[in-house]
Amino acid sequence: MAARENILSRIRAANASLQTGDGAQSTASRLAGHPRGPLPTMGWDPLQRFIDCSIAAASTLDRVDKREGVPVAVARYLSENGLPMRGVCWPEFADLDWSGAGLEMQARSANGDDKVGVTGSFCALAETGTLLLLSGEQQHATTSLLPETHVAVVSKKRVVVCMEDAWDLLRKEVGHLPRQVNFVSGPSRTADIEMTLVYGAHGPFRVHIIITDE
Amino acid sequence: MEITSARFKKVASQKLADPKVQAALANAKGRFVVARARAIKDLDNFEEIRQAAADVRDHCLANLDQYLEEWERKATAAGTIVHWVESAAEMTRVVLEIARSNEVRKVIKSKSMLGEETGMNEYLERGGIDVRETDLGEYIIQQANEHPSHIIAPATHKSKDDIADLFAQKHQRPRLDDITKLTHEAREILRPHFLDADMGITGANFLVAETGSTMIVTNEGNGRMTTTMPRVHVAISSIEKCIPTLEDVSLIMRLLARSATGQSISNYISMTTGPRRQGDSDGPEQFHVIIVDIGRTRVLGSDLRPALRCIRCGACMNHCPVYQNIGGHAYGWVYPGPIGSVLTPAYVGLEKALDLPNAATMCNQCGVACPVKIPLPDLMRKLREKQTQLKLSPASQRAGMGAWAWLASRPFLYGLATKVAVRLGKLAGGKESMLHRLPFAGREWTRGRDLPAPRGRTFREIYAARKKN
Amino acid sequence: MRVGLFVTCLADLMRPSIGLAALKLLEQTGCEVVVPSTQTCCGQPGYNAGERGAAQALARKLVAEFSDCDYVVVPSGSCSGMIKTHYAELLADIPDIKAKAEWLAARTWELTDFLVNVAGLDDIDARFDGTVTYHDSCAGLREMGVKSQPRELLSKVAGLTIREMEGAEQCCGFGGTFAVKYGDISARLADLKCEDVEKTSADALVLGDLGCMLNIEGKLRRRGNSHTKVLHVAEVLAGMTGDEIE
Repeated sequence: MAARENILSRIRAANASLQTGDGAQSTASRLAGHPRGPLPTMGWDPLQRFIDCSIAAASTLDRVDKREGVPVAVARYLSENGLPMRGVCWPEFADLDWSGAGLEMQARSANGDDKVGVTGSFCALAETGTLLLLSGEQQHATTSLLPETHVAVVSKKRVVVCMEDAWDLLRKEVGHLPRQVNFVSGPSRTADIEMTLVYGAHGPFRVHIIITDE
Repeated sequence: MEITSARFKKVASQKLADPKVQAALANAKGRFVVARARAIKDLDNFEEIRQAAADVRDHCLANLDQYLEEWERKATAAGTIVHWVESAAEMTRVVLEIARSNEVRKVIKSKSMLGEETGMNEYLERGGIDVRETDLGEYIIQQANEHPSHIIAPATHKSKDDIADLFAQKHQRPRLDDITKLTHEAREILRPHFLDADMGITGANFLVAETGSTMIVTNEGNGRMTTTMPRVHVAISSIEKCIPTLEDVSLIMRLLARSATGQSISNYISMTTGPRRQGDSDGPEQFHVIIVDIGRTRVLGSDLRPALRCIRCGACMNHCPVYQNIGGHAYGWVYPGPIGSVLTPAYVGLEKALDLPNAATMCNQCGVACPVKIPLPDLMRKLREKQTQLKLSPASQRAGMGAWAWLASRPFLYGLATKVAVRLGKLAGGKESMLHRLPFAGREWTRGRDLPAPRGRTFREIYAARKKN
Repeated sequence: MRVGLFVTCLADLMRPSIGLAALKLLEQTGCEVVVPSTQTCCGQPGYNAGERGAAQALARKLVAEFSDCDYVVVPSGSCSGMIKTHYAELLADIPDIKAKAEWLAARTWELTDFLVNVAGLDDIDARFDGTVTYHDSCAGLREMGVKSQPRELLSKVAGLTIREMEGAEQCCGFGGTFAVKYGDISARLADLKCEDVEKTSADALVLGDLGCMLNIEGKLRRRGNSHTKVLHVAEVLAGMTGDEIE
């Protein structure tokens, strides 16, 4: 642990000589109060902004009345795009009538062979068209990552204005961070060759968002 | 990484004369600048946010010990194994030890500048570990056995054709001539490695003290793969990456992608807190974070301190007229462009990078683009002053500047000397009033351009004569 | 209102017409103009070369020379920027000068900025028949906030049309000692600036800093361009665009 002590004491020495430390009080209050920084003016309608920004982030969108309508919407999207009619979903959707919609959907985590992954979402950020996915027992991180097509279901009521609102929601409803929190804004992409944008670098080629109105 | 900054001038001239490099730079030039300019318009209080981000970064640095301790408390509570190291050698040794004690044969790696600084890949490979870079740009660079030329677009100096040749040779597949196909071929080649690697190594964009998390930002999804698929995950982070709260993350995220690529947000922001939890179906069994100093505390106590605010967006190089024309390799180490001209001397030693703080026009296109308001020209000037103090600057320059100050402090002598000089200058300029070849330091000027000649009389003498009348 | 004109050493030596033009313009505003006869250099070359001592000596001298002026006006963005944004830091460790330097910095103006925002110069008694394009010099733009002022004044010159170039805010590559230390890079940047200038087919390039002028004009002539005039904004506004210097 010598390195730890050496580093911390060098930091203290550097800061002491510049007399810049704000003191334990201010760090503790910042951590406890986690104040927001200045926000841009966000005068838009959150749902419309979420839709607009998702499209700008190259996601596609659909809307259904109730979660029971999700399988039909997924089937329509997959068939219209000539994609495989089978895949994996988060267990929260195991009860839906997938086979009735012509789909073969397994409620397990994804492996490298799965082509379609259906997930829910903790919430969505209007400001940037972003999905917030938490990892967990029932929320497999691989489902939104390994398949070429990621379909995400988000309830209209779970569209929050900005990332700061998402943190507050997370603090209120979960109270701690899961192993991984992932903000996803559209399909995987790269522009590492001649600054030319290509989708499907390592993650999904497409992200399809189904908004439920309930 | 080997430091070649001492050859700056020579390499810069080579790059200026290399048509392939110039074509690649011409393609990149302006795109980043235009994209950023468009992206920041989305924030009606951009300057206010920028100031707040600079303030937050300063606040972090001023209380870094406390935030690092808080981060460590929270990270450890979540099951993260925290290591502290002071030097590059120590860091690479700890990474290799973690790999060996877990019988790791293959590592997948997401981009890390700290990895570049410490030569980690080479060290692990010498230790018998198979290391795969997974960011497309880094993968290209690794295959070509080169170094990155930009911190967020590592292969920006290579053309599609270069990459097509490289992939055909390395992948042993038919040559592709389409950027989409090349990208997808790399995806196909790397996918099995993501699935069967034993260990993932990532950097960290930030450590969040409030939650003990490490955060990485990617567009490709390789960061998510690297932090989710292998059974061991090691994140390496230097100390200054620590920020207080999740709200501070949100603040800085409004600036990072906009300043870097002109996106409103990066595709994936992944916040990792500890290893796989009980019942989780995925995630690593072990999560190690290595907290690294390597020169940071030295900079913290120096007048270069504001450079530690850096959030590695690359805006300074994108906006630098020098970088735009010579690219990143001439800078000779991990960080090119204006921030490199400060960090390289700070981290590897001023004497090894004498040109870097001087090779800037002080135009401040970097400073106004920096999302955390690092006064880059001022920091470069401090390094120039240090060169003077240590007598590392050219003796001729010190003598010349001294002589100029001596003369210019003596108005009478100055008047006489300048009267003579402007008359000689006018004579030398001839009929077209243009100097084509200058002696001494002026040779460097007239190699590439002329110099309009003086007009034969100084303002001071004209003005004095006029007053007399 | 007592206005001190700091001509700058570069204009004193290389292009006195800029100083004369600035003088004429300031006199047109009705100000009392003083031109301290001992003035030389603001110390910027030494400052940017890391020669702090040399820079301090010259800065102290300038502060003393202009201490009885209500304003210091400079026909240069970079020299006015030196006084306004760097003197306080440069002289910070010399207690008796620091306050004076700060006082002076607060009263220092780039010429066109002063003409528009302090003196409120309305009538421009000058004619230029042709198209001009304006280069924003780095320090003028980014240290002194000079952008609209010269354009506003130029638009009042009879016969003159402004045609903006692409990349007007891009550095021309002068950079003081940079130009003689890294000649290849500097000349490349000047080349790119010349391309932007030439693309406008303007009759003249107008700008507010002599360093950039020498760099760009020198490059234009080396490229074989003998027709594009390179003029200081003060020369155009004062109607002194010929070769005469008196």
